[in-house]
Amino acid sequence: MKIIIILLGLFVLGVLSVQAQSLRVGYYGETVTHYGLKVAAEWSLKSYIKERNQARKEFLVGPALATYRHPQNHIGLVLFPELTYRRTSRRGGIFEVGLAPAYAYYFLEGATYTPDESGGLRRVRWAGQDAFLPTVFVGVGKDLSLRRQVPVAWFTRLNVMQQRPYNTSTLIRFSLEAGINFSLKKR
Amino acid sequence: MYSYLALASLLMLLACGDRDPQPIENNTLFLRNKGADMPIWVKGKRQSKKIILYVHGGPGDCAMCYRYYLKGLETETMVAYWDQRVAGASSGKVDESTLRYAQFSEDLGYVVQLLKTQYPDAEVYLLAHSFGVELSWQYLTTGTNQQKIAGLIVVNGMFSFANWLAAVRDWALREAKQQKKTEAETYLLANPVTPENAATIEWEPIYRWMYKLGGNPVSLYKDGKYLLNYSFNSPNTALAQFTHAKAYTYYGNVESRRFEKGPLLKDIRIPVGLFWGVKDGVVPVEVGDATKKVLTNASVTEARFSESWHEPFITETEKFNRAVLDFVQ
Repeated sequence: MKIIIILLGLFVLGVLSVQAQSLRVGYYGETVTHYGLKVAAEWSLKSYIKERNQARKEFLVGPALATYRHPQNHIGLVLFPELTYRRTSRRGGIFEVGLAPAYAYYFLEGATYTPDESGGLRRVRWAGQDAFLPTVFVGVGKDLSLRRQVPVAWFTRLNVMQQRPYNTSTLIRFSLEAGINFSLKKR
Repeated sequence: MYSYLALASLLMLLACGDRDPQPIENNTLFLRNKGADMPIWVKGKRQSKKIILYVHGGPGDCAMCYRYYLKGLETETMVAYWDQRVAGASSGKVDESTLRYAQFSEDLGYVVQLLKTQYPDAEVYLLAHSFGVELSWQYLTTGTNQQKIAGLIVVNGMFSFANWLAAVRDWALREAKQQKKTEAETYLLANPVTPENAATIEWEPIYRWMYKLGGNPVSLYKDGKYLLNYSFNSPNTALAQFTHAKAYTYYGNVESRRFEKGPLLKDIRIPVGLFWGVKDGVVPVEVGDATKKVLTNASVTEARFSESWHEPFITETEKFNRAVLDFVQ
Protein backbone atom coordinates (compact mmCIF):
# COMPACT_ATOMS: atom_id res chain seq x y z
CA MET A 1 0.00 0.00 0.00
CA LYS A 2 2.90 2.33 0.74
CA ILE A 3 4.17 1.90 -2.81
CA ILE A 4 0.76 2.83 -4.20
CA ILE A 5 0.56 6.00 -2.06
CA ILE A 6 4.10 6.97 -3.14
CA LEU A 7 3.16 6.43 -6.81
CA LEU A 8 0.06 8.56 -6.46
CA GLY A 9 2.08 11.27 -4.71
CA LEU A 10 4.73 11.25 -7.44
CA PHE A 11 1.97 11.49 -10.01
CA VAL A 12 0.50 14.60 -8.35
CA LEU A 13 3.95 16.22 -8.03
CA GLY A 14 4.69 15.45 -11.68
CA VAL A 15 1.44 17.03 -12.77
CA LEU A 16 2.05 20.18 -10.73
CA SER A 17 5.59 20.49 -12.07
CA VAL A 18 4.54 20.47 -15.71
CA GLN A 19 1.68 22.89 -15.11
CA ALA A 20 -1.39 21.00 -16.12
CA GLN A 21 -4.62 22.91 -16.66
CA SER A 22 -6.36 21.01 -13.91
CA LEU A 23 -5.93 18.23 -11.41
CA ARG A 24 -8.70 15.77 -10.66
CA VAL A 25 -8.93 13.70 -7.50
CA GLY A 26 -11.76 11.38 -6.68
CA TYR A 27 -13.24 8.16 -5.42
CA TYR A 28 -12.85 5.28 -7.86
CA GLY A 29 -14.54 1.95 -7.34
CA GLU A 30 -16.94 -0.70 -8.50
CA THR A 31 -19.04 -0.31 -5.34
CA VAL A 32 -18.61 1.21 -1.91
CA THR A 33 -17.06 -2.05 -0.75
CA HIS A 34 -14.80 -2.42 -3.81
CA TYR A 35 -13.18 0.96 -3.36
CA GLY A 36 -10.31 3.04 -4.66
CA LEU A 37 -8.82 6.41 -5.52
CA LYS A 38 -8.01 8.10 -8.81
CA VAL A 39 -5.91 11.14 -9.64
CA ALA A 40 -5.68 12.71 -13.07
CA ALA A 41 -4.21 15.70 -14.84
CA GLU A 42 -5.71 17.47 -17.81
CA TRP A 43 -4.31 19.62 -20.60
CA SER A 44 -6.57 21.36 -23.07
CA LEU A 45 -6.05 20.42 -26.72
CA LYS A 46 -8.71 22.73 -28.02
CA SER A 47 -11.19 25.00 -26.30
CA TYR A 48 -13.81 27.37 -27.63
CA ILE A 49 -16.98 29.14 -26.48
CA LYS A 50 -20.10 28.85 -28.53
CA GLU A 51 -21.60 32.25 -29.30
CA ARG A 52 -25.24 31.19 -29.12
CA ASN A 53 -25.36 29.85 -25.53
CA GLN A 54 -21.93 30.76 -24.16
CA ALA A 55 -21.16 27.09 -23.51
CA ARG A 56 -17.48 26.16 -23.36
CA LYS A 57 -16.47 23.10 -25.38
CA GLU A 58 -13.11 21.49 -24.76
CA PHE A 59 -11.04 18.56 -25.91
CA LEU A 60 -8.70 17.45 -23.12
CA VAL A 61 -5.93 14.91 -22.81
CA GLY A 62 -4.08 13.71 -19.78
CA PRO A 63 -2.91 10.75 -17.75
CA ALA A 64 -4.79 9.32 -14.82
CA LEU A 65 -3.73 6.78 -12.25
CA ALA A 66 -6.21 4.76 -10.24
CA THR A 67 -5.79 2.26 -7.49
CA TYR A 68 -8.57 0.13 -6.09
CA ARG A 69 -9.12 -2.82 -3.79
CA HIS A 70 -11.46 -5.78 -4.09
CA PRO A 71 -11.02 -7.13 -0.56
CA GLN A 72 -9.93 -10.79 -0.40
CA ASN A 73 -9.44 -10.78 -4.16
CA HIS A 74 -6.96 -8.28 -5.59
CA ILE A 75 -5.51 -4.77 -5.48
CA GLY A 76 -5.33 -3.04 -8.83
CA LEU A 77 -3.40 -0.20 -10.42
CA VAL A 78 -4.70 1.32 -13.63
CA LEU A 79 -2.98 3.85 -15.87
CA PHE A 80 -5.42 5.74 -18.11
CA PRO A 81 -4.31 7.94 -21.00
CA GLU A 82 -7.60 9.84 -21.26
CA LEU A 83 -9.11 11.77 -24.15
CA THR A 84 -12.13 13.79 -23.01
CA TYR A 85 -14.74 15.96 -24.66
CA ARG A 86 -16.27 18.31 -22.08
CA ARG A 87 -19.11 20.79 -22.41
CA THR A 88 -19.52 23.36 -19.64
CA SER A 89 -22.70 25.40 -19.79
CA ARG A 90 -22.94 29.12 -19.01
CA ARG A 91 -24.18 28.24 -15.52
CA GLY A 92 -21.41 25.70 -14.91
CA GLY A 93 -23.17 22.42 -15.68
CA ILE A 94 -20.68 19.87 -17.01
CA PHE A 95 -21.26 16.99 -19.39
CA GLU A 96 -18.35 14.91 -20.61
CA VAL A 97 -17.59 11.78 -22.58
CA GLY A 98 -14.30 10.17 -23.42
CA LEU A 99 -12.18 7.13 -23.89
CA ALA A 100 -8.96 5.72 -22.53
CA PRO A 101 -6.87 2.78 -23.75
CA ALA A 102 -5.90 1.90 -20.19
CA TYR A 103 -3.37 -0.57 -18.85
CA ALA A 104 -4.00 -2.40 -15.60
CA TYR A 105 -1.89 -4.44 -13.25
CA TYR A 106 -3.33 -6.20 -10.24
CA PHE A 107 -1.83 -8.02 -7.28
CA LEU A 108 -3.60 -11.00 -5.77
CA GLU A 109 -4.59 -10.25 -2.19
CA GLY A 110 -3.51 -13.49 -0.60
CA ALA A 111 -0.55 -15.83 -0.32
CA THR A 112 -0.12 -17.45 -3.72
CA TYR A 113 1.37 -20.88 -4.33
CA THR A 114 2.28 -22.71 -7.50
CA PRO A 115 3.44 -26.28 -8.16
CA ASP A 116 7.19 -26.75 -8.41
CA GLU A 117 9.24 -29.38 -10.24
CA SER A 118 9.36 -31.68 -7.22
CA GLY A 119 5.58 -31.92 -6.98
CA GLY A 120 5.46 -29.57 -4.01
CA LEU A 121 4.16 -26.02 -3.81
CA ARG A 122 6.27 -22.87 -3.70
CA ARG A 123 5.23 -19.36 -2.72
CA VAL A 124 4.96 -16.74 -5.48
CA ARG A 125 5.72 -13.27 -4.08
CA TRP A 126 3.84 -10.28 -5.50
CA ALA A 127 1.70 -12.54 -7.68
CA GLY A 128 -0.43 -10.64 -10.15
CA GLN A 129 -1.40 -10.18 -13.76
CA ASP A 130 -1.56 -7.37 -16.28
CA ALA A 131 -4.34 -6.57 -18.72
CA PHE A 132 -5.38 -4.14 -21.40
CA LEU A 133 -8.40 -2.17 -20.17
CA PRO A 134 -9.99 -0.11 -22.95
CA THR A 135 -12.42 2.30 -21.29
CA VAL A 136 -15.24 4.61 -22.31
CA PHE A 137 -16.82 7.01 -19.87
CA VAL A 138 -19.59 9.51 -19.45
CA GLY A 139 -19.85 12.05 -16.66
CA VAL A 140 -21.64 15.08 -15.27
CA GLY A 141 -20.66 17.77 -12.80
CA LYS A 142 -20.70 21.42 -11.90
CA ASP A 143 -18.01 24.04 -12.40
CA LEU A 144 -18.19 26.26 -9.32
CA SER A 145 -15.78 28.84 -10.68
CA LEU A 146 -18.38 30.37 -12.97
CA ARG A 147 -20.92 31.49 -10.39
CA ARG A 148 -19.15 31.29 -7.04
CA GLN A 149 -15.59 32.26 -7.95
CA VAL A 150 -14.30 28.96 -6.49
CA PRO A 151 -11.68 27.39 -8.79
CA VAL A 152 -13.03 23.86 -8.46
CA ALA A 153 -15.65 21.65 -10.06
CA TRP A 154 -17.30 18.54 -8.71
CA PHE A 155 -17.90 15.64 -11.03
CA THR A 156 -19.16 12.10 -11.18
CA ARG A 157 -18.38 9.65 -13.92
CA LEU A 158 -19.30 6.14 -15.03
CA ASN A 159 -16.54 4.08 -16.63
CA VAL A 160 -17.27 1.01 -18.73
CA MET A 161 -14.19 -1.11 -19.32
CA GLN A 162 -13.26 -4.34 -21.00
CA GLN A 163 -10.49 -6.34 -19.34
CA ARG A 164 -8.50 -8.24 -21.94
CA PRO A 165 -7.60 -11.00 -21.42
CA TYR A 166 -9.61 -12.42 -18.58
CA ASN A 167 -9.54 -16.18 -18.11
CA THR A 168 -10.38 -17.59 -21.56
CA SER A 169 -11.99 -14.40 -22.89
CA THR A 170 -12.69 -10.86 -21.66
CA LEU A 171 -14.56 -9.21 -18.81
CA ILE A 172 -16.79 -6.15 -18.90
CA ARG A 173 -16.23 -4.05 -15.79
CA PHE A 174 -17.82 -0.91 -14.40
CA SER A 175 -16.49 1.70 -12.05
CA LEU A 176 -17.81 4.90 -10.59
CA GLU A 177 -15.84 8.05 -10.00
CA ALA A 178 -16.80 11.07 -7.92
CA GLY A 179 -14.56 13.88 -6.86
CA ILE A 180 -13.18 17.36 -7.32
CA ASN A 181 -11.48 18.94 -10.31
CA PHE A 182 -9.06 21.67 -9.22
CA SER A 183 -8.33 24.32 -11.80
CA LEU A 184 -4.59 25.12 -11.83
CA LYS A 185 -4.67 27.82 -14.50
CA LYS A 186 -6.98 30.72 -15.24
CA ARG A 187 -8.94 30.27 -18.43
CA MET B 1 -30.43 17.76 5.08
CA TYR B 2 -29.86 15.92 1.82
CA SER B 3 -26.27 15.10 2.75
CA TYR B 4 -27.47 13.56 6.05
CA LEU B 5 -30.00 11.48 4.13
CA ALA B 6 -27.32 10.36 1.68
CA LEU B 7 -24.99 9.42 4.55
CA ALA B 8 -27.76 7.51 6.30
CA SER B 9 -28.58 5.65 3.05
CA LEU B 10 -24.93 4.73 2.61
CA LEU B 11 -24.70 3.39 6.15
CA MET B 12 -27.90 1.38 5.68
CA LEU B 13 -26.51 -0.08 2.46
CA LEU B 14 -23.31 -1.12 4.19
CA ALA B 15 -25.32 -2.66 7.01
CA CYS B 16 -27.27 -4.89 4.60
CA GLY B 17 -24.67 -7.66 4.61
CA ASP B 18 -25.18 -10.54 6.98
CA ARG B 19 -22.88 -10.64 9.96
CA ASP B 20 -20.16 -13.27 9.86
CA PRO B 21 -20.28 -15.91 12.58
CA GLN B 22 -17.01 -14.47 13.97
CA PRO B 23 -14.64 -16.74 12.06
CA ILE B 24 -11.54 -17.61 13.99
CA GLU B 25 -9.71 -18.50 10.80
CA ASN B 26 -9.99 -16.01 7.95
CA ASN B 27 -7.36 -16.73 5.35
CA THR B 28 -7.17 -16.02 1.63
CA LEU B 29 -4.90 -18.24 -0.46
CA PHE B 30 -4.39 -18.54 -4.19
CA LEU B 31 -3.35 -21.53 -6.25
CA ARG B 32 -1.62 -20.62 -9.51
CA ASN B 33 -1.66 -23.53 -11.94
CA LYS B 34 -1.62 -23.78 -15.75
CA GLY B 35 -2.55 -20.13 -16.29
CA ALA B 36 -5.27 -19.89 -13.64
CA ASP B 37 -5.15 -17.98 -10.34
CA MET B 38 -7.72 -19.71 -8.16
CA PRO B 39 -8.71 -18.23 -4.79
CA ILE B 40 -9.33 -20.38 -1.73
CA TRP B 41 -10.92 -18.63 1.21
CA VAL B 42 -10.60 -20.55 4.47
CA LYS B 43 -12.98 -19.49 7.20
CA GLY B 44 -14.23 -20.88 10.47
CA LYS B 45 -13.17 -22.68 13.58
CA ARG B 46 -9.51 -23.69 13.33
CA GLN B 47 -9.57 -25.71 16.57
CA SER B 48 -11.99 -28.17 14.96
CA LYS B 49 -9.08 -29.58 12.90
CA LYS B 50 -11.57 -30.27 10.13
CA ILE B 51 -11.80 -28.51 6.78
CA ILE B 52 -14.86 -28.85 4.59
CA LEU B 53 -13.65 -28.07 1.07
CA TYR B 54 -16.62 -26.88 -0.95
CA VAL B 55 -16.31 -28.12 -4.54
CA HIS B 56 -18.78 -25.97 -6.41
CA GLY B 57 -20.90 -26.89 -9.37
CA GLY B 58 -21.34 -25.44 -12.81
CA PRO B 59 -18.90 -25.84 -14.34
CA GLY B 60 -18.16 -22.14 -14.02
CA ASP B 61 -20.19 -21.47 -10.87
CA CYS B 62 -18.62 -19.99 -7.74
CA ALA B 63 -17.88 -20.91 -4.15
CA MET B 64 -18.12 -17.72 -2.12
CA CYS B 65 -21.50 -16.86 -3.60
CA TYR B 66 -22.88 -19.81 -1.59
CA ARG B 67 -21.17 -18.78 1.64
CA TYR B 68 -24.36 -16.87 2.41
CA TYR B 69 -25.97 -20.30 2.95
CA LEU B 70 -23.01 -22.38 4.12
CA LYS B 71 -21.48 -20.11 6.72
CA GLY B 72 -23.52 -21.82 9.44
CA LEU B 73 -20.89 -24.56 9.11
CA GLU B 74 -18.13 -22.17 10.14
CA THR B 75 -19.18 -22.13 13.80
CA GLU B 76 -18.05 -25.75 14.20
CA THR B 77 -15.53 -26.42 11.40
CA MET B 78 -13.37 -24.62 8.86
CA VAL B 79 -14.82 -24.23 5.39
CA ALA B 80 -12.55 -23.77 2.37
CA TYR B 81 -14.31 -22.02 -0.50
CA TRP B 82 -12.38 -22.74 -3.70
CA ASP B 83 -13.19 -21.12 -7.02
CA GLN B 84 -12.20 -23.52 -9.79
CA ARG B 85 -10.42 -22.33 -12.93
CA VAL B 86 -12.61 -20.08 -15.10
CA ALA B 87 -15.20 -19.82 -12.34
CA GLY B 88 -16.22 -17.34 -9.66
CA ALA B 89 -13.39 -14.95 -8.85
CA SER B 90 -10.68 -17.02 -10.53
CA SER B 91 -8.60 -15.02 -12.95
CA GLY B 92 -5.51 -15.37 -15.09
CA LYS B 93 -4.85 -16.14 -18.73
CA VAL B 94 -6.31 -19.56 -19.25
CA ASP B 95 -6.28 -21.77 -22.32
CA GLU B 96 -9.74 -23.19 -23.01
CA SER B 97 -8.18 -26.59 -23.67
CA THR B 98 -7.43 -26.88 -19.93
CA LEU B 99 -11.14 -27.08 -19.11
CA ARG B 100 -11.09 -30.86 -18.83
CA TYR B 101 -11.86 -33.23 -15.96
CA ALA B 102 -8.21 -34.28 -15.71
CA GLN B 103 -7.06 -30.67 -15.27
CA PHE B 104 -9.77 -29.85 -12.73
CA SER B 105 -8.77 -32.97 -10.84
CA GLU B 106 -5.11 -31.91 -10.85
CA ASP B 107 -6.15 -28.48 -9.53
CA LEU B 108 -8.22 -30.10 -6.78
CA GLY B 109 -5.19 -32.21 -5.84
CA TYR B 110 -3.07 -29.09 -5.41
CA VAL B 111 -5.81 -27.37 -3.41
CA VAL B 112 -5.92 -30.34 -1.02
CA GLN B 113 -2.12 -30.30 -0.84
CA LEU B 114 -2.11 -26.57 -0.11
CA LEU B 115 -4.69 -26.96 2.64
CA LYS B 116 -2.74 -29.82 4.19
CA THR B 117 0.43 -27.73 4.11
CA GLN B 118 -1.28 -24.75 5.71
CA TYR B 119 -3.26 -26.82 8.22
CA PRO B 120 -1.16 -29.96 8.75
CA ASP B 121 -3.26 -31.32 11.60
CA ALA B 122 -6.63 -30.91 9.85
CA GLU B 123 -8.70 -33.54 8.04
CA VAL B 124 -10.12 -32.52 4.67
CA TYR B 125 -13.67 -33.41 3.67
CA LEU B 126 -15.13 -32.67 0.24
CA LEU B 127 -18.58 -31.11 0.03
CA ALA B 128 -19.31 -31.47 -3.66
CA HIS B 129 -22.31 -30.11 -5.51
CA SER B 130 -23.49 -31.03 -9.02
CA PHE B 131 -20.49 -30.64 -11.39
CA GLY B 132 -18.32 -30.63 -8.27
CA VAL B 133 -19.45 -34.24 -7.73
CA GLU B 134 -18.16 -35.23 -11.19
CA LEU B 135 -14.90 -33.49 -10.38
CA SER B 136 -14.66 -35.22 -6.99
CA TRP B 137 -15.24 -38.67 -8.50
CA GLN B 138 -12.59 -37.89 -11.10
CA TYR B 139 -10.17 -36.97 -8.31
CA LEU B 140 -11.02 -39.77 -5.90
CA THR B 141 -10.82 -42.52 -8.55
CA THR B 142 -7.34 -41.38 -9.60
CA GLY B 143 -4.28 -42.98 -8.01
CA THR B 144 -4.25 -42.90 -4.22
CA ASN B 145 -6.00 -39.55 -3.90
CA GLN B 146 -8.79 -40.85 -1.70
CA GLN B 147 -6.25 -41.49 1.05
CA LYS B 148 -5.91 -37.71 1.46
CA ILE B 149 -9.63 -37.20 2.01
CA ALA B 150 -11.56 -38.01 5.19
CA GLY B 151 -14.96 -38.18 3.51
CA LEU B 152 -17.08 -37.02 0.60
CA ILE B 153 -20.53 -35.46 0.66
CA VAL B 154 -22.29 -35.79 -2.67
CA VAL B 155 -25.01 -33.17 -3.25
CA ASN B 156 -27.22 -33.79 -6.27
CA GLY B 157 -24.43 -34.86 -8.61
CA MET B 158 -23.78 -37.69 -11.04
CA PHE B 159 -21.21 -40.44 -11.60
CA SER B 160 -22.24 -41.39 -15.15
CA PHE B 161 -23.55 -39.28 -18.02
CA ALA B 162 -25.65 -42.13 -19.43
CA ASN B 163 -27.21 -42.92 -16.06
CA TRP B 164 -27.85 -39.23 -15.44
CA LEU B 165 -29.49 -38.47 -18.78
CA ALA B 166 -31.74 -41.52 -18.53
CA ALA B 167 -32.80 -40.36 -15.05
CA VAL B 168 -33.53 -36.83 -16.26
CA ARG B 169 -35.59 -38.16 -19.15
CA ASP B 170 -37.53 -40.50 -16.83
CA TRP B 171 -38.13 -37.64 -14.39
CA ALA B 172 -39.37 -35.35 -17.16
CA LEU B 173 -41.59 -38.04 -18.67
CA ARG B 174 -43.17 -38.75 -15.31
CA GLU B 175 -43.84 -35.05 -14.76
CA ALA B 176 -45.16 -34.60 -18.30
CA LYS B 177 -47.70 -37.36 -17.69
CA GLN B 178 -48.69 -35.96 -14.30
CA GLN B 179 -49.00 -32.42 -15.63
CA LYS B 180 -50.72 -33.63 -18.83
CA LYS B 181 -48.15 -31.90 -21.06
CA THR B 182 -48.69 -33.90 -24.22
CA GLU B 183 -46.04 -32.16 -26.34
CA ALA B 184 -43.36 -32.94 -23.76
CA GLU B 185 -44.65 -36.47 -23.30
CA THR B 186 -44.63 -37.14 -27.05
CA TYR B 187 -41.07 -35.84 -27.42
CA LEU B 188 -39.73 -37.75 -24.43
CA LEU B 189 -41.44 -41.01 -25.46
CA ALA B 190 -39.91 -40.66 -28.92
CA ASN B 191 -36.43 -40.15 -27.47
CA PRO B 192 -35.58 -42.87 -25.00
CA VAL B 193 -32.09 -42.76 -23.49
CA THR B 194 -30.08 -45.95 -23.47
CA PRO B 195 -26.45 -46.68 -22.57
CA GLU B 196 -25.85 -47.15 -26.30
CA ASN B 197 -27.23 -43.80 -27.47
CA ALA B 198 -26.36 -41.59 -24.47
CA ALA B 199 -23.18 -40.29 -26.08
CA THR B 200 -24.90 -39.26 -29.30
CA ILE B 201 -28.51 -38.39 -28.45
CA GLU B 202 -29.48 -34.69 -28.35
CA TRP B 203 -29.53 -34.14 -24.60
CA GLU B 204 -30.38 -30.44 -24.56
CA PRO B 205 -34.09 -30.77 -25.58
CA ILE B 206 -34.57 -33.37 -22.84
CA TYR B 207 -32.87 -31.03 -20.35
CA ARG B 208 -35.01 -28.09 -21.46
CA TRP B 209 -38.24 -30.08 -21.01
CA MET B 210 -37.09 -31.05 -17.53
CA TYR B 211 -36.66 -27.36 -16.67
CA LYS B 212 -39.99 -26.38 -18.21
CA LEU B 213 -41.69 -29.07 -16.14
CA GLY B 214 -40.33 -27.57 -12.91
CA GLY B 215 -37.06 -29.45 -12.51
CA ASN B 216 -35.47 -26.63 -10.54
CA PRO B 217 -37.55 -23.48 -10.01
CA VAL B 218 -35.14 -22.05 -7.40
CA SER B 219 -33.43 -18.84 -8.46
CA LEU B 220 -30.90 -17.01 -6.32
CA TYR B 221 -31.74 -13.81 -8.14
CA LYS B 222 -35.23 -13.67 -6.65
CA ASP B 223 -33.76 -13.23 -3.17
CA GLY B 224 -33.10 -9.53 -2.69
CA LYS B 225 -31.14 -10.01 0.52
CA TYR B 226 -28.88 -12.55 -1.18
CA LEU B 227 -28.31 -10.15 -4.09
CA LEU B 228 -27.37 -7.29 -1.77
CA ASN B 229 -25.02 -9.58 0.10
CA TYR B 230 -23.46 -10.76 -3.18
CA SER B 231 -23.07 -7.21 -4.44
CA PHE B 232 -21.47 -5.72 -1.36
CA ASN B 233 -19.98 -8.58 0.65
CA SER B 234 -18.61 -10.89 -2.03
CA PRO B 235 -14.98 -10.68 -3.17
CA ASN B 236 -16.13 -11.35 -6.74
CA THR B 237 -15.86 -8.69 -9.41
CA ALA B 238 -19.43 -7.75 -10.37
CA LEU B 239 -19.91 -9.38 -13.77
CA ALA B 240 -17.08 -11.93 -13.65
CA GLN B 241 -19.49 -14.72 -12.81
CA PHE B 242 -21.36 -14.24 -16.08
CA THR B 243 -18.37 -14.51 -18.43
CA HIS B 244 -17.55 -18.13 -17.78
CA ALA B 245 -20.33 -20.19 -19.36
CA LYS B 246 -19.23 -19.76 -22.98
CA ALA B 247 -15.87 -21.37 -22.21
CA TYR B 248 -17.56 -24.68 -21.44
CA THR B 249 -18.90 -25.60 -24.86
CA TYR B 250 -16.48 -28.52 -25.25
CA TYR B 251 -17.44 -29.75 -21.79
CA GLY B 252 -21.13 -29.79 -22.73
CA ASN B 253 -20.69 -31.28 -26.19
CA VAL B 254 -17.87 -33.77 -25.70
CA GLU B 255 -16.18 -34.05 -22.30
CA SER B 256 -19.21 -34.59 -20.07
CA ARG B 257 -20.72 -37.13 -22.47
CA ARG B 258 -17.76 -39.46 -21.96
CA PHE B 259 -18.04 -39.27 -18.21
CA GLU B 260 -18.47 -42.73 -16.70
CA LYS B 261 -17.12 -43.56 -13.25
CA GLY B 262 -19.61 -46.29 -12.28
CA PRO B 263 -17.20 -49.25 -12.51
CA LEU B 264 -14.56 -47.36 -10.49
CA LEU B 265 -16.75 -46.45 -7.53
CA LYS B 266 -16.44 -49.93 -6.03
CA ASP B 267 -12.87 -48.88 -5.16
CA ILE B 268 -14.03 -45.95 -3.05
CA ARG B 269 -13.43 -46.79 0.60
CA ILE B 270 -13.86 -43.45 2.33
CA PRO B 271 -17.18 -42.49 3.98
CA VAL B 272 -19.65 -41.03 1.49
CA GLY B 273 -22.72 -38.94 2.25
CA LEU B 274 -25.44 -38.89 -0.41
CA PHE B 275 -27.37 -35.66 0.17
CA TRP B 276 -30.28 -35.07 -2.17
CA GLY B 277 -32.99 -32.53 -2.81
CA VAL B 278 -35.72 -35.01 -3.71
CA LYS B 279 -37.73 -32.69 -5.99
CA ASP B 280 -34.71 -32.11 -8.23
CA GLY B 281 -35.07 -32.73 -11.94
CA VAL B 282 -31.54 -31.55 -12.81
CA VAL B 283 -29.95 -34.55 -11.10
CA PRO B 284 -32.91 -36.66 -9.91
CA VAL B 285 -32.82 -38.60 -6.67
CA GLU B 286 -32.73 -41.85 -8.69
CA VAL B 287 -29.11 -40.93 -9.53
CA GLY B 288 -28.45 -40.96 -5.79
CA ASP B 289 -30.00 -44.43 -5.52
CA ALA B 290 -27.82 -45.65 -8.40
CA THR B 291 -24.73 -44.10 -6.78
CA LYS B 292 -25.41 -46.03 -3.59
CA LYS B 293 -25.63 -49.31 -5.52
CA VAL B 294 -22.18 -48.90 -7.07
CA LEU B 295 -20.50 -47.77 -3.84
CA THR B 296 -20.18 -51.36 -2.68
CA ASN B 297 -17.14 -50.85 -0.44
CA ALA B 298 -17.84 -47.44 1.08
CA SER B 299 -19.76 -46.55 4.20
CA VAL B 300 -22.72 -44.58 2.85
CA THR B 301 -24.87 -42.11 4.79
CA GLU B 302 -28.01 -40.72 3.18
CA ALA B 303 -29.79 -37.43 3.81
CA ARG B 304 -32.91 -36.49 1.90
CA PHE B 305 -34.32 -32.97 1.66
CA SER B 306 -37.98 -33.31 0.85
CA GLU B 307 -38.62 -29.61 0.18
CA SER B 308 -35.60 -29.07 -2.06
CA TRP B 309 -34.60 -29.21 -5.68
CA HIS B 310 -31.03 -28.96 -6.99
CA GLU B 311 -29.53 -26.87 -4.17
CA PRO B 312 -30.83 -28.15 -0.81
CA PHE B 313 -28.43 -25.78 0.99
CA ILE B 314 -30.51 -22.89 -0.39
CA THR B 315 -33.96 -24.24 0.32
CA GLU B 316 -33.37 -26.15 3.58
CA THR B 317 -30.27 -24.37 4.84
CA GLU B 318 -30.36 -25.23 8.55
CA LYS B 319 -31.25 -28.87 8.01
CA PHE B 320 -28.57 -29.17 5.35
CA ASN B 321 -25.83 -27.61 7.47
CA ARG B 322 -26.77 -29.76 10.45
CA ALA B 323 -26.54 -32.89 8.29
CA VAL B 324 -23.10 -31.84 7.00
CA LEU B 325 -21.83 -31.22 10.53
CA ASP B 326 -23.21 -34.57 11.70
CA PHE B 327 -21.41 -36.27 8.81
CA VAL B 328 -18.00 -34.75 9.51
CA GLN B 329 -18.29 -35.27 13.26
